[in-house]
Amino acid sequence: MRLLWPLVFFAFAFAQTPTGEPPPDLPPEVFRIASELRCPVCQGESAAESNAGVSQEMRRQIAEMLRQGKSAEEIKRYFVERYGEWILYAPPKRGINWLLWLAPLIGLLVFGFGFWRYLAEAGRREAELELSDEELKALERRLEGE
Amino acid sequence: MSPGVAGNLALVLGFVLTGTGLLLSVLAWWAKDARYVEAAKRAAVVSFLASLLAFAALEWALLTDDFSIAYTAENHSTKSPTWVKFATLWAALEGSILLWATLQALYTLLAARRLRDVWMAPAVLGTLFGVQLFFFGVLLFVTNPFTPVPNPPTEGPGPNPLLQNHWMMAVHPVLMYLGFVGISVPFAYAVAAMLARRYQSWVAETRWWTLVAFGFLTAGIFAGGWWSYEVLGWGGYWAWDPVENASFIPWLLLAGFLHTAMVQERRGMFKSWNFTYITLAFAATVFGTFLTRSGVIQSVHAFADGPVGPVFLGFLLLVLLVGFGLLSRVSAEVRDLGGISLLSREGLLLGGSLVFATMAFVVVLGTLFPLIVEAVRGDEVSVGAPFFDTVFAPLGAALLLLMGAAPLLPWGRVDPFAARALSFMLSALALFTALSLFLGAGFGVALGVGLFAYNLVAVVAQGARGVGAWRRKGEGYLAALLRYLARARRPVGAQIVHFGVALAALAIVFSQAYRVDAQKTLEIGERAVVAGLPLTLRRLEARDEGFRFAVVAEVEVSGAGRMYPRLHYYPTMNSPLAAPHVRYGIYHDDYLILQAFDTEEGRWATLRMVRTPMVLWLWVAGGIILFGVFYIVSPGFARAARGSEVTA
Repeated sequence: MRLLWPLVFFAFAFAQTPTGEPPPDLPPEVFRIASELRCPVCQGESAAESNAGVSQEMRRQIAEMLRQGKSAEEIKRYFVERYGEWILYAPPKRGINWLLWLAPLIGLLVFGFGFWRYLAEAGRREAELELSDEELKALERRLEGE
Repeated sequence: MSPGVAGNLALVLGFVLTGTGLLLSVLAWWAKDARYVEAAKRAAVVSFLASLLAFAALEWALLTDDFSIAYTAENHSTKSPTWVKFATLWAALEGSILLWATLQALYTLLAARRLRDVWMAPAVLGTLFGVQLFFFGVLLFVTNPFTPVPNPPTEGPGPNPLLQNHWMMAVHPVLMYLGFVGISVPFAYAVAAMLARRYQSWVAETRWWTLVAFGFLTAGIFAGGWWSYEVLGWGGYWAWDPVENASFIPWLLLAGFLHTAMVQERRGMFKSWNFTYITLAFAATVFGTFLTRSGVIQSVHAFADGPVGPVFLGFLLLVLLVGFGLLSRVSAEVRDLGGISLLSREGLLLGGSLVFATMAFVVVLGTLFPLIVEAVRGDEVSVGAPFFDTVFAPLGAALLLLMGAAPLLPWGRVDPFAARALSFMLSALALFTALSLFLGAGFGVALGVGLFAYNLVAVVAQGARGVGAWRRKGEGYLAALLRYLARARRPVGAQIVHFGVALAALAIVFSQAYRVDAQKTLEIGERAVVAGLPLTLRRLEARDEGFRFAVVAEVEVSGAGRMYPRLHYYPTMNSPLAAPHVRYGIYHDDYLILQAFDTEEGRWATLRMVRTPMVLWLWVAGGIILFGVFYIVSPGFARAARGSEVTA
């Protein structure tokens, strides 16, 4: 089996960290922060999920900054400065992004208004169908008269 | 004959026969002659046989390593195990469209066998043949898997390694498509109902089909989540990826439809709403395919980009045009009447439907938002799990509240039994939320526990009500229970589903709140505590498995056996794929990933340990939900097979 190591190495050396150094040890906090950041080169994966080189580097940087005593907010700000707000998986609450954050409320209001309008209409129609006592008597008289 | 020739022949045959079926349906509609309907039903049988032939031809090519057609040349490898070769049929775009067409032909056939309403039959068949014709057309003219290859290679790259990594991949897409295609039947009935101006009955007639589609869709989504958990190697089951969202949108719309459909069935109301729901649910299945196969949105699932984007967009517009064109007529003609009190079963069903519609809207907007912002302002934004998790928490809580109460209330009013049960449920909610807060849980988790207790009481109360009704007829406890379970299939099944949903919600809350990830590099023989678990790295081993290389780490968990996380190297991928070792547990799962290792001498390995509580219960909940759906639809299967009227 030892014989296979060079083979694996030659075929896939570029998939490993370039220096041959082992990746750093990471505490849970790193993954929590990384999960809110986008992996810049992946298709829809967060920096916590992805194993791309950039994501590994981002996790290393997060660990480093945590050791320096930086807060989660400061760390996220660092990545926003480098990559833009695109790096955040939850867009900041301002400007056009409010449309997104208020979507549940907009949905409830619009659909709720639709339901309410529909019910008001249906209730009105039912009320129209019902006859008042005088109408009923008038009809009875007509029936008897004929 | 070769597979390529047979396949092309079958596709041409299928296209022509489907077109004939469509023509016969149109003739039946115009001439009002039932003989054309009978002929169209035969066309459904033969076009299904043609699709089966095409399916068999592609399997023939895959299983005999025939590289003379485009699909095998691009997606097949002689080195794959047999089950992978078989499942390669739906591992890439052309093949999955073929699977879709085959399943569509199957549903057309099954739906045709049980058509009773002579007024609606031509339009139902015509709609189904129309959809089927689209898929055969795509296969024949846009993405033909049987396109001959001038110089056939002797070996191909094989399917996407992500798909080879787990047997679930053989199952998940089939379940998904069975769900997607299933929605076409209620949609076809709805179109027929609008054309024939028989607005009321289609909802009850398609209840069984809707539930079957809903069951398959649910199974497909859970299978996808499980696959993601076992294969993608990050310890999660749902990432709010555009493709996951694309499967979730029809599920949400179908769930909303199921609930307002009950109000239509019982009270004859919401006819145009139900028509809108089913049109949107069917459109959502096409929309999802467009979204993920056209390259407009980036996704981990973008296994197969192709030229089908514009075609599916066109089909989507056609579906919406037909649906909303007919709807304008319905809304002009349908005059529902009646009042609904909010505190009644129908009132809460509407509330639930409202939340489902809102959820669907949020998922659509969230998925498309990056495109909208880029178009409007030229900026790039990302919308992912942190956003969806935040906004779905309150919506989910609202749904759980409504879900417990709605089945308990009678139609049209509140009765004393329901009022008493509601007060018990709300007490359980308050008590367990407070207790969890006292024990140190965060507010979200505490509310999750409270809502689970609330729904548990609701399920018990509903059962007590059902059994009590039989008891009053003079049955003993056991006999009353058995009679209730056997006779009240719909309420009992719904109760099972609701319990499953409550359990799933609890599992999601816990697994999101208390997940712990940690990464640690160990030398061979070194011992360290990672994410609270004492691990010792015993060995590293490389294996040549023919179609891939595997590097396996042997890790001893103190006092709890050994785990074997792996890295797989596929010839077509330039980075390895992690195959985690997952140990399921009642309280939490241990999920061990081999992150990296010493490629030169094999002296160290970097391990990532993910401990997530209650994930196992999510899969159990999925099973319970499916059992509940099955409990309702199962008597219908025998009747569907006999071709007689099906009511669930």
